[in-house]
Amino acid sequence: MTNRALDVAGVDSGYGEVQVLRDLTLHLESDEIVCIIGPNGAGKSTVLKTVFGLLKPWTGSVELSGRDITGEEPEDLVRVGMGYVPQVDNVFSSLTIDENLKMGGVARSEGLQARIDELYDQFSILDEKRSAKARTLSGGQRQVLAFARALVMEPEVLLIDEPSAGLAPNIVQSVFEDVKTVNELGTAVLMVEQNAREGLGISDRGYVLDQGTVAYEGDADGLLDDPEVSRLYMGGADYEGE
Amino acid sequence: MNDDAYEGAHLGKSDVVLKTTDLEKAFGGLVATDSVSIEVDRGTITGMIGPNGAGKSTLFNLISGFYENDAGHVTVNGEEVTDLEPHERARKGLVRTFQTPRRLEGMSVREAMLVGPGPQKGESIFSLFFSGSDVTEEERTNIEQTRELLERFEIGHLIDQPSTDLSGGQMKLVELARAFTTNPDILLLDEPVAGVNPTLANDIKRFIRELNEEGQTFLIIEHDMPFIMDLADPIIVLDQGKVLMEGSPDEVRADDRVIEAYLGGAGP
Amino acid sequence: MSAVSSWVSETFVRDATERRIFATLGLITVLLVGGVFAGVIGPRFLLFQIALVGMYALLSLGLNVQWGYAGLINFSVAAFWGIGAYCAALLTAPNSPLGLGLHPVFGFLAAIVVSAFIAVLIGIPTLRLREDYLAIASLGLAEVIRAIILNERQWTAGSSGISGIPNLMSWLPLTDAATTAAIVVVLIAVVYLFLRRVHRSPWGRVLRTIRSDEDLAKALGKDTYRFKMQAFVIGSVIMAVAGAFYAHLNLYIDPSDLVPLTTFYIWIAVILGGTGSNRGAVVGAAVVIAIREGTRFLNDIGFIQTLGIDLAPLRLLFVGGLIILIMRFRQDGLLPPKDELIWPAARDGSGADGAPASGAASDGGTASNGGDDR
Repeated sequence: MTNRALDVAGVDSGYGEVQVLRDLTLHLESDEIVCIIGPNGAGKSTVLKTVFGLLKPWTGSVELSGRDITGEEPEDLVRVGMGYVPQVDNVFSSLTIDENLKMGGVARSEGLQARIDELYDQFSILDEKRSAKARTLSGGQRQVLAFARALVMEPEVLLIDEPSAGLAPNIVQSVFEDVKTVNELGTAVLMVEQNAREGLGISDRGYVLDQGTVAYEGDADGLLDDPEVSRLYMGGADYEGE
Repeated sequence: MNDDAYEGAHLGKSDVVLKTTDLEKAFGGLVATDSVSIEVDRGTITGMIGPNGAGKSTLFNLISGFYENDAGHVTVNGEEVTDLEPHERARKGLVRTFQTPRRLEGMSVREAMLVGPGPQKGESIFSLFFSGSDVTEEERTNIEQTRELLERFEIGHLIDQPSTDLSGGQMKLVELARAFTTNPDILLLDEPVAGVNPTLANDIKRFIRELNEEGQTFLIIEHDMPFIMDLADPIIVLDQGKVLMEGSPDEVRADDRVIEAYLGGAGP
Repeated sequence: MSAVSSWVSETFVRDATERRIFATLGLITVLLVGGVFAGVIGPRFLLFQIALVGMYALLSLGLNVQWGYAGLINFSVAAFWGIGAYCAALLTAPNSPLGLGLHPVFGFLAAIVVSAFIAVLIGIPTLRLREDYLAIASLGLAEVIRAIILNERQWTAGSSGISGIPNLMSWLPLTDAATTAAIVVVLIAVVYLFLRRVHRSPWGRVLRTIRSDEDLAKALGKDTYRFKMQAFVIGSVIMAVAGAFYAHLNLYIDPSDLVPLTTFYIWIAVILGGTGSNRGAVVGAAVVIAIREGTRFLNDIGFIQTLGIDLAPLRLLFVGGLIILIMRFRQDGLLPPKDELIWPAARDGSGADGAPASGAASDGGTASNGGDDR
């Protein structure tokens, strides 16, 4: 059996004494895009932070391609194939695009320039603006840079926190196209999205999170049509997880 | 709180406690509040919901005066308050709480509560020296009312604790109680149960209901859907800075536009 | 006697650490008095030091109102002190540029009026804004005042300074040194009692709320600008009174004391003593002076001279070391504030045993007020 890219089993975690995640279990295959949706306060961002080591799991395990990485530090995970794109402050605004990409490769011992050139080929908008400072980029361009920066390390798994947050509706489309490109280039994507429709629209599977645990899961198409999911959002849901 | 005085004070006041008309606010190029007109009727618990970024907090800040509006009006009891400072609006009966509980360093729960009622004679230095007995009497009354209110909210035992020792939920309860001591015409609660454990959240819901049954009007922002659906009627739904619709909980739950707004894909 | 001792224990000595601190202070006092009797320390000198400590204590009390009560960052302590000193000097010294030779009372009155006026002037543009603005504006003010005093020789005699300032109340049968020391003790007592009354009250409570979270105070209907302005003016006036007193203590003033270092010492005194605490402000001032004057004094002792060390430049090192120690072991300062800000007379339900008529309640509670101490 091929190793799953990411396997999260029975994880509890939280901030200080406040528990946010409860018995969280999900997985990611190596060619998938998986989207986590759910109402506000469900703990979606906390999932990514816990997987990436920014928060330590209280119980449970996290495995990256079969290898146990529970509780490891983010800076080590970056070196073994995991990338993370936070929701805010995900580029260095005072640095140029080129410098940002170089920063993305700080942990890379060799082949940095070749890899950066590959990324310029894939994302032409970055190539056109190599020496522009990141703060001059539009919201959508900034997201592309954030993705590319994380891809410099050639991760197997990329965690993306709300790629469309704060972006104008017409740009949202193009950002999700970029996420698809990332996946097509060979990286599995686990993404959290507020915009459930758009997020699930490009995903293979989805998880609906509520109060820190998985309430529903399934193929992306099916989830949105499920009336239970709408009821969950509107506060009337009644599932076993409660 | 003296219920008779409360009832009597409202004779002759309009049924609409709070009204905004075409309220606008933009930050740079981003329109956060787009021509929002709402009305809150006296005696209701009116809810305000909407997905992240819908502009709920901005609207609260505009109504309470912490943000300056670009256009539009806010009236309380029919009186224009659009040009008033936050503290002046509070004096007119518009009192709000904040989303994150503000622990007051070095102050006990009792002290934190006593800041609420106002204006107090003892807040004038002159009175402290020349009307000492009046100050004493008012302070005694306030201390007693504080104790009673905290007992009523079942946290009387915390009265001597440093407010920094309280859990987030307990502090929110204190803040609800304190806001109530200002004798407001309308209480704006900003996510009163965010991050609060379910048991305490239920208590908060119960106390809000009790106060409402005694005549207190509320406007409440909340993300906790079961909470707000059970408590509020009517509910105003905001999305992308505009009022999407308003209705009873059932109407809101069944409205496709609302579901779409939450699930995303509500285009321009 | 028991009422007095319970007042003392309620007001001055609240826990074991504080007992130790006061014991240490007591010991130092005994040593100093012993030094006088042993002929090592001149009585005039000691009284002068006491008066100096008193002056610094007044300055610290003033800053404590602004920073400790209200959270206002004021870097112009020296300027308001200077305003007070120059008002006193200009009006009372016969050979000052104004040459009026008035009675010292007028000096004090002028100090109060002028400092209040300038405080309002500074407060109007800055107190509605973030605290940084007052910090910056007060820094600027400090230098402007100093520059005016230094350069407008026709009004202030500039760097030559003003001498011949008369003593206070020389008609009393005590020596000048003793009289001045006694006066400052009275001034401190008056200011201290005034501050205690306004602090443990609804007014004090609102200020502390503003310090913690101004938005919250506004949301509850408090006009925070008005409260901040009051605290700022009161503090500035106290500082000016300290300055006027200093003129009559030193009998000579010039602009060289209006430097930022003076302001810095007062800030240290307040923080060391315990931000927000009046007792702390007084004790903090004593500690700072002890270091400042102590290093100067010890230099004159033969023993130290034979060692060939010059202690004076090391005083900032001592101050710095002390700050580190306090931050490490007693972060809130030596005597941090502990009072509940509640009007004392309203505390107990009935008309408390032993307390005077309500309304004119003194600042000491009674033994029954167990709820005071935390």
